[in-house]
Amino acid sequence: MPGADKETDLTERIEAFLADLKRGGSGTGPLRGSGEMARETTYLLRRITAQARWSSAGDLMEIIRNEGRRMTAAQPSETTVGNMVRRVLKIIREEYARSRGSSEETEQQESLHKLLTAGELSEENFRQHFVHLKANVIEAINELLTELDGTTDNIAMQALEHIHSNEVIMTVGRSRTVEAFLKDAARKRKFHVIVAECAPFCQGHEMATGLSKVGIETTVIADAAIFAVMSRVNKVIIGTQTVLANGGLRAVNGTHSVALAARHHSTPLIICAPMFKLSPQVFTTIFYPFPGSFSYCLPVLREILSKVNVHCPVFDYVPPELITLFISNIGGNAPSYIYRLMSELYHPEDHKL
Amino acid sequence: MLQIYTSGATSGSFRGGKQKKGNVTSEQEEEEQPLQAVLVADSFNRRFFPISKDQPRALLPLGNVAMIDYTLEFLTSTGVQETFVFCCWMSNKIKDHLLKSKWCRPTSPNVVHIITSDLYRSLGDVLRDVDAKNLVRNDFILVYGDVVSNIDVSQALQEHRHRRKVDKNISVMTMVFKESSPGHKTRCEEDDVIVAMDSKSKRVLHYQKTQGLKKLQFPMNIFQHGSDEFEIRHDLLDCHISICSPQVAELFTDNFDYQTRNDFVRGILVNEEILGNQIHLYVTQDGYGARVSNLQMYDSVSLDMVRRWVYPLTPEANFTDQQGQGCTHSRHNVYRGAEVSLGHGSQMEENVLIGRDTSIGANCHISNSVIGNNCTIGDNVVLDRAHMWNNVHVSSNVEIHQSVVCDGAVVKEAVRLNKQCVLAYNVVIGPNLSLPEGTVVSMHHPEEEEEDDDDEFLSDDQEVGHSKDKTRQKAFNPAEVGPEGKGYIWKASMNDTEDEELAQCLWGLVLNPDPESDSESEASEESQDRTFQLEVLGTLQRGLEENIVCDNLVLEINSLKYAYNITLKEVMQILTRVVLEYPFQQQGTQLTTLQYTGSLLPLLKTWSPVFKNYIKRAQDHLDCLSAVEELFLEQDTHQTAMVKVLMKMYQLEILEEEAILKWFSTGATNDKSRQLRKNQGVMRRMSLWRKESEEDESSEEGECGR
Repeated sequence: MPGADKETDLTERIEAFLADLKRGGSGTGPLRGSGEMARETTYLLRRITAQARWSSAGDLMEIIRNEGRRMTAAQPSETTVGNMVRRVLKIIREEYARSRGSSEETEQQESLHKLLTAGELSEENFRQHFVHLKANVIEAINELLTELDGTTDNIAMQALEHIHSNEVIMTVGRSRTVEAFLKDAARKRKFHVIVAECAPFCQGHEMATGLSKVGIETTVIADAAIFAVMSRVNKVIIGTQTVLANGGLRAVNGTHSVALAARHHSTPLIICAPMFKLSPQVFTTIFYPFPGSFSYCLPVLREILSKVNVHCPVFDYVPPELITLFISNIGGNAPSYIYRLMSELYHPEDHKL
Repeated sequence: MLQIYTSGATSGSFRGGKQKKGNVTSEQEEEEQPLQAVLVADSFNRRFFPISKDQPRALLPLGNVAMIDYTLEFLTSTGVQETFVFCCWMSNKIKDHLLKSKWCRPTSPNVVHIITSDLYRSLGDVLRDVDAKNLVRNDFILVYGDVVSNIDVSQALQEHRHRRKVDKNISVMTMVFKESSPGHKTRCEEDDVIVAMDSKSKRVLHYQKTQGLKKLQFPMNIFQHGSDEFEIRHDLLDCHISICSPQVAELFTDNFDYQTRNDFVRGILVNEEILGNQIHLYVTQDGYGARVSNLQMYDSVSLDMVRRWVYPLTPEANFTDQQGQGCTHSRHNVYRGAEVSLGHGSQMEENVLIGRDTSIGANCHISNSVIGNNCTIGDNVVLDRAHMWNNVHVSSNVEIHQSVVCDGAVVKEAVRLNKQCVLAYNVVIGPNLSLPEGTVVSMHHPEEEEEDDDDEFLSDDQEVGHSKDKTRQKAFNPAEVGPEGKGYIWKASMNDTEDEELAQCLWGLVLNPDPESDSESEASEESQDRTFQLEVLGTLQRGLEENIVCDNLVLEINSLKYAYNITLKEVMQILTRVVLEYPFQQQGTQLTTLQYTGSLLPLLKTWSPVFKNYIKRAQDHLDCLSAVEELFLEQDTHQTAMVKVLMKMYQLEILEEEAILKWFSTGATNDKSRQLRKNQGVMRRMSLWRKESEEDESSEEGECGR
């Protein structure tokens, strides 16, 4: 039974992906960064579209929504997965609308009038069957994948517009997008980079080694020195884990202090974030993913260790007012414009999976 | 025996998919040698009695998830593709659990085979069976079913494989240890080890459990070994995870007396030169690994779980993938399952995990606790470090401190459980009662336990049912468990030492180990000497009572000498000691010197042939004398008797004159013995003897001549 085989193969892959997610996207394993995570999720969703049994767009959306719920539950601190699920759902909506011949544009516009009149009709509309829908959706997902593959390059390409000669740039920790961004600028310009080490994980060390390898003048500073050094800095360029719906950030711990210091000195704070990091979530709770492996940080505490709670906040929330500019793969945007991008990328009904 | 097989092809295709159809050759290699693991889902001890009487230890819930699930998750996340689960005690329950779990789904990347037998009595039996059935083909990971860990052993595995490749099969085992300083709460007292290892090759040179010993001895040869550097470490925590080569199973078969991993490690280290096998160590700094070997460990591991030290195995991750097991995580490590209700004014301070459908009354204070599914908790309840399993009912005004409350237990109003109490399955306690510290209450009567002591391992359901009937006949004691209580106190009803041991075992509080339990190198030798001494004493006693000829006594002592592997010198010293202590043994230590010599001297006469048999060379004489001296140094009230003893021995020709004089003239080694010699004016007597001896000389020489 080839059909059943396909089916088990698919569930097997989903299970494996879920297990990978649960074991922590950060660190080891195939899902090291959010870029990979986004790509893997999209591959899997394409597979589901291709192999799962569905007859109408509504079925498919239900399947994807279910799997998406499981995936996001598996690793709640990783928003990329949910974002990709929403993107795919939006793609399905668009393809369905195109097949039906109506333009999605009008339907999507939110207006007071629509809010009052529209019921739950839209869901029922997806019951119609189209022969080419599957192929079209897969084609669109493929486009999405190409977009994902090119994100880092697209962001890096804009580097020369933002970094000028002899500037002093500050960054925090390690972000592969920022690294690529700086490296791209270094091909033409000479500038100085100051890296805050970002204790306790000290990803900043890794970042500095990477930058100095391509000949960028790099200085590593302790996190405590951020404010002192800020007066000399022309621009702060950092990455983020998630861009929240209000234009705020959920970024690596220590980012908030950098942002405040930058505001104090009126230094521009530029965020390099690919579009797939844009999440319809608003700031709710701070997650403490791993306080583990900190026993070696606390050598003094031996006997009282049982009475000590170790909290290691991994992420900071940075409010949108501290941010000057977002640089994404589709260009630079102000934080106040994020809501607009949000409605372009995701359908409002998908905000909650 | 039951085995659950899923086709190897599925797991293979999964692997292939994960590698994105990459390197085909490496994929094939991986298929040839899937990583295997042996999981021993039995503890082979009774530390968790009486809890484990109803449920095998591997299935006891830790953070509302059975312990074996943690172990399997750990194995799966390290890339194990085939796991053999060996169960013995209550194997049916383990089997049922596993069949229902996600590990036996066809999509599981880790294929679980369940092997059950009632005949396993130790780890050794399991590994012998592994060898007999030829289950492992390659290096495998050996763990117990109660190990909780998130250590990434892939590097240890790599090191192990590399070592085995470099020098052909010399390294048989790599043990995984975690660095943790002494006093860390996850360090288990009984697993406290001291390890000497080669710094460079990470080879284990010496391995010893400290067991509270203050003095430790290391064999000299580890210092003389070729290596430049070596470390003696006491900051290691045994994670009970070992990477074994297939040889390990073979070695267990060859050495049928190996019972535990400890036996094995010691055996390998002792026979290293003969067999050429080595054991290595992998020390990790981060990660978490601990074995829940007693309730103390249960308590601390459970709290560590809730405090997220075992990330990513956190309660809200729901890694077992069971419906309805999910929970939310909020600040201060408070986890709530679905449908949890919390009364007005109740506080969950920190590190609290509450299972699904549990309801909590008003004004409760809960901290550092785990509460299972379907529990009801009344008003004004204080819970601190309480571990409640499923379906527990707690009435109002109850206080529970650091205790375990098993499934279905009922705690009535105004009950106070002090530290380290255990309420086993379905026990009812109260109302209005305060259980003293360390109380263990079970529905099983402790005596019934003693009755079927021998076949506890074999007891199946039928037998349990049978014994239940027996317990019914015995009434519950309302003074112990309260007016409406149901259950038997284990501690109070059992007699002294045994019960003491039980409580300690449950909570693992072995604070001052008794000298007899020191079974380690130095200690064991000493105890061997001691038993030898007792045996000699017994022999002599019997000889006296039954009038056995001295020649036969000699024969018996000789055979004992071989049995206990005692050197001739020690035999003599012990013999001397036994004889000189004999009067004390028989008549108590309050003897006057006069009585002492009075009873000793005839004995010396009777046993003189025995002495003569052992004391032949000049050195023997000196050794004997030093033994005499040693004894009298201990018994300083009887020092004056020493002269008489020496004289008698001289007269009986046990000791030679020259020897005594030489001993006397070599001088004392310390102040006390000098004192001894002076006090007695041995000198004065000596001259006396000399005269005597000169008088007897002719006849003596005549005897010698003959």
